[in-house]
Amino acid sequence: MLLELRDIYFRYHGEAPILEGFDLEVQDGEFVALLGPSGCGKSTLLNLAAGLLDPLSGEVDFEGKELKGLNRNAGYMTQGDTLLPWMTVTNNIALPLELRNFPKAERQQKIERALRLVNLWDARDKFPSELSGGMKRRALLARSIIYDPPMLLMDEPFGALDAQMRETMHQELLDTVGRTGEGVLFVTHDIAESILLADRIIVLGGKPLKVMEEIHIKWGKDRDLDQIRKDPEYTALETRLRDLLRAAHS
Amino acid sequence: MNMMTKVESDKELAQSTRAKPRGLTRPAPVRKSPARYRLENLALQVLLIGGFLLLWEYASDRWVPKLMVSKPSEIGAMMQRWLMDGTYMTNLWVTIQATFFGFTFGAGAGMIVGFLTGSWRRLGDILQPIVTAFYTLPRLALAPLFLLWFGLGIEFRIVFAATIVFFLVYYNTYFGVREVSRELISAVRIMGASRLQVMTRVIIPSALVWVAAGLKISVPYALVGVVVAEMLASDQGMGFLLSRSASQFSASGSFAAIAGLLVVALIVDWIITKITDRALRWKTVAEQN
Repeated sequence: MLLELRDIYFRYHGEAPILEGFDLEVQDGEFVALLGPSGCGKSTLLNLAAGLLDPLSGEVDFEGKELKGLNRNAGYMTQGDTLLPWMTVTNNIALPLELRNFPKAERQQKIERALRLVNLWDARDKFPSELSGGMKRRALLARSIIYDPPMLLMDEPFGALDAQMRETMHQELLDTVGRTGEGVLFVTHDIAESILLADRIIVLGGKPLKVMEEIHIKWGKDRDLDQIRKDPEYTALETRLRDLLRAAHS
Repeated sequence: MNMMTKVESDKELAQSTRAKPRGLTRPAPVRKSPARYRLENLALQVLLIGGFLLLWEYASDRWVPKLMVSKPSEIGAMMQRWLMDGTYMTNLWVTIQATFFGFTFGAGAGMIVGFLTGSWRRLGDILQPIVTAFYTLPRLALAPLFLLWFGLGIEFRIVFAATIVFFLVYYNTYFGVREVSRELISAVRIMGASRLQVMTRVIIPSALVWVAAGLKISVPYALVGVVVAEMLASDQGMGFLLSRSASQFSASGSFAAIAGLLVVALIVDWIITKITDRALRWKTVAEQN
């Protein structure tokens, strides 16, 4: 088991509980999408998995061990632009390696591989302000995976992109995690995004947050997103998830 | 399988760095080259200053008493004399030395205290009101005390300038550190950064924009501090030269001293701008995009 949240109770100071007796599991190499209305507590779940928040009771286990403090073995990518503006693309991507004292030779090799993986080799000496929205996302993705963490935590990472760029990034992400074999916990409120990317969709709703439905996706890792969009099952799933989200809202 | 081809990537890179497409109906105005723009500005500045000097030369002794405003030609002659007999060199050197040390000590202390109080919330909450209280105190009121403590030597001028510079740099550093994006800090922490690494990789570079602004504005203040101190109590330096000329009713001498200070201020400002621009190259690039 890669990640396990057991019997979690959490509330922000002076507010009603967001999570009460909440359980969640992610297997090695599994892509799990957390789908739910905005503000329902999806990001809180992700922050608990990242160790940025501590549960008031219950346990977060990562790779079989209880998580104490920050989860430094998970790549974390948010909707915000967290590239350091004073560093070039290369230096931004290399930062996790530098902070983790990777040997210089290995560092160089990993940087080149990551830059080529996300097609940013030609933009390696540019500052973030010189990049387009899509290029920034790709740089953030490269930075999240460069030290080969066993898991990626992604909080609506493509929410700020236009539809066309989002489609490109979806394929890019699937290709990347397909090659690296990382597990992914992906927070979104976009139904199509969850169907296209995930192996398993967990629909969340209610206060405190509970799992409304869990749906296993049949398309496998080597999926063709254009073909999936034409599949009648895709439309049926979309309708079903829309109904579930509507119920979660009410 | 990698869907994003190199061609698409190159196109995207080109689009992100190229200027926006022009409107269909009205052509965008043709922009002058930066070199030509700068040259035109320089010509206008020379014209403006030259015109002012000519007007001054003409007006002196005609519309305004020469005793009060002197004449550019006489000021020029005085400047030449001071340049030849070493008056400028001796006094400028004294002033520059005191300014350099006053600026260095004041800015150094301002940065250290600003970083500490900005990054350590408790310390900031305790010290901030005390620093503000001292900031509101007129620095000139401290001059007699400094004279008592440090005497007439260079130390008095250095400390006086440093107390002015300290607050300017302190406030910029303090707010710079406080303004650092929490999101950036969290992102770097989860990458495995220690507290020290968060400080060196995120907080210091991020606050540097503010610190650089503080440093830039504090250079002329350091110079002002030293000159005022020299005018108050000194037997050398540009401030001394200025007050001596004024007490001898020599408007030419006063203006010649001011002109010397002006040149020094411009040179120091140019140096600081070059240094900060180099340190903040990413900021310049961001502003161009």
